[in-house]
Amino acid sequence: MKKIEIKKLIEKIEGEAELDFTFIDGEIEDVKINFGFYRGVEEILRGKDARDALVITPRVCGICNHAHLIASVRAIEDGYKRAGVKVNLSSKARDIREFTLACELIQNHIKWLYLTILPQLERYVGEKNQENYALKASYLSTTITKALAIFAGQWPHSSYAVVGGVSCDPTYLDVIQAQTLLEESILFFEKVVTGMSLDEYLSIKSITQLSKIGGDFGKLLYLIESSDMANIGKSHDRFIVFGDSPLSASAKSIGTLLSSLDVRYLKESTQENTMAKAVEYKKRLYEVGSLSRGMVAKRPIIRSLHKRYKDSLLTRLFARVDEVGVLLNICKNLLQNLSLDEPSSTLPLNKVASHFEGVGIVEAARGSLIHRTKVKNSKIVSYEIITPTQWNLSHGTKEEKGVAIKAMVGSKSVEEATFIFRTFDVCSVCTTQ
Amino acid sequence: MSKPKLLWLQSISCNGNAHSFLNHPELFSILAHFELIYHPILETNYLLEDIIKKRVECDVLILEGSFVQEGFLKAGVEVSTTIEGYAKRAKHIITAGTCATFGGIFKQKEPDKISGFAFNIEEKTVRYEEYASKLISLPGCPINPRWLSFVLLMIANGKKVEIDRLHRPVELYRYTVHMGCTRNEYFEWKVDAKNFGLKEGCLFYEQGCQAPFTRGSCNKILWYDTSSKTRVGTPCFGCTEPSFPQSSLFFTKTNMGIPAKMPLGVPRRAYLTLTGVTKSFKIKRFSTRLLEYDE
Repeated sequence: MKKIEIKKLIEKIEGEAELDFTFIDGEIEDVKINFGFYRGVEEILRGKDARDALVITPRVCGICNHAHLIASVRAIEDGYKRAGVKVNLSSKARDIREFTLACELIQNHIKWLYLTILPQLERYVGEKNQENYALKASYLSTTITKALAIFAGQWPHSSYAVVGGVSCDPTYLDVIQAQTLLEESILFFEKVVTGMSLDEYLSIKSITQLSKIGGDFGKLLYLIESSDMANIGKSHDRFIVFGDSPLSASAKSIGTLLSSLDVRYLKESTQENTMAKAVEYKKRLYEVGSLSRGMVAKRPIIRSLHKRYKDSLLTRLFARVDEVGVLLNICKNLLQNLSLDEPSSTLPLNKVASHFEGVGIVEAARGSLIHRTKVKNSKIVSYEIITPTQWNLSHGTKEEKGVAIKAMVGSKSVEEATFIFRTFDVCSVCTTQ
Repeated sequence: MSKPKLLWLQSISCNGNAHSFLNHPELFSILAHFELIYHPILETNYLLEDIIKKRVECDVLILEGSFVQEGFLKAGVEVSTTIEGYAKRAKHIITAGTCATFGGIFKQKEPDKISGFAFNIEEKTVRYEEYASKLISLPGCPINPRWLSFVLLMIANGKKVEIDRLHRPVELYRYTVHMGCTRNEYFEWKVDAKNFGLKEGCLFYEQGCQAPFTRGSCNKILWYDTSSKTRVGTPCFGCTEPSFPQSSLFFTKTNMGIPAKMPLGVPRRAYLTLTGVTKSFKIKRFSTRLLEYDE
């Protein structure tokens, strides 16, 4: 038995992580994932006014800041309700929040596809890269983020979701602009990402139709297939979605077996040698993110891929790019049906709760994001943030390896394992908030 | 002539400035003026490990994130060592964001140890003297991408950027966030916003808006040419200021019903005089919803 240990700094994952690979007889036997600096946002929040979380928590992360904002406003609203202060969001406020959140997910997935996956994969399989992928990433990201900014004012780090609604008061002038930017984004998805119309794309239901996909997505699928990578990267085949969203209801799926869940069974614990905390649900580890949402929502094409490839690298990659199409369609419907006559905020300015505990859950780009706030005399006494990457990248328990680690075990090279690692769309800064 | 070499290094950061800049509508024509040595998101010729372990040439150094002398290692090397190594060689240092400039949000975790690169809130750090001659501060949490492109292109064109005592470009930071706000008339006539989610009314009186005393061009140079916080009814939280973030950000602190902090440079007496005059009139246009008013 020959044992080798290799250390590798993984960069451009919203910060960095260090992976320590242990090879036994040429195969990865274990991986330790170490993240750097703990920034202590939960501690920084202690003693601040309850609503300050709406400004502080987005600053956890430059790429999923908006998800943190929504999680934190939901945590306060949940707390208000439990404390007896009625918060009934107008459907307008709810829809605008869903829209801006969807825009953030779209920019995230597109950046991941063009700045991480395609260049890394081409390098790995030795395909010469002639393209300026960054230009494509920046174009779509700028376009969809402009649509977001029409309602949220800016990105990153908007705080436009306020307790009781949203701070903006859009008119048709704004909605029409947002629609135009959205149409531009859809056109990009059609002409550049998939080479087919959005409707045609969304009608794909089984893997027999995958060959119809062209564009850069088609290229990605071809590269995976032709380099025999479709079946690698399998993990526990367990999926969890905590947040109810237009993408999926909240549930867990073990293989394809769905069941409901209760946020109380979720447990967070510290780990050795890393600043990242781990999470488990009833002593088991679950994958979170686009793949989990697709599985729980029983999206036909995701289920079809899963039937053949299980939770492999291909299924995971596919689910994230696929979600862009689904989200664009959701955005289109949200804008079309936006009822501008309703109030943006339904809670009067002077209506506040000063003692409460609340939980806010949101489906962020990388999966379920959970905020818990405890407030006394209007001040935060404790704040807890559980990020998606904590699910996917935990070291694991005595009984089982962490989700991403399990996916890398058995791989024969650092390069392949690193690519598998990146398919989880790792966010370093969220992990060490 | 070869292009100036651009290096983007991060310390204690959220990546927000890097993502903001990535969304610059003319990103690639700006980058075409430089040779990009390393960037935390974009593909570059060097790996971070190369940057840390070797000493690559660098002309323009962009720093993102709060600074800590000890305890933050990347590839086994203190981040502060890497940053100072490059700061010595660079011809220009730009601190991008409030964290890198003044310490910002992450300073609050360990206020005695964490600071900005050259400033600790408004105080000069031990590094200040050595780097002052080439330092440009761009506070903002995060910065508007056009603020950074302005400075980069001035450098690329060999032009001198005029700066103030905290090394902020005067063309960007002599403005207040209030200038250009679409709610300016409501401010003039002292009409407060009755709630969040309304396009009418000023956010200075109840909702904690800091725009009248915060330096920044947020309402002159809009986010992605689109909008700003105050335009969508969100108060300014003073994120460009050395003191950011303060507490109770959604409340206006008042003394006897008058905002405790005055607009930049305005004496309290002048403010009170004007308020007395404007409050003695009731003007229908300002008490009617914008789209409903019709004379």
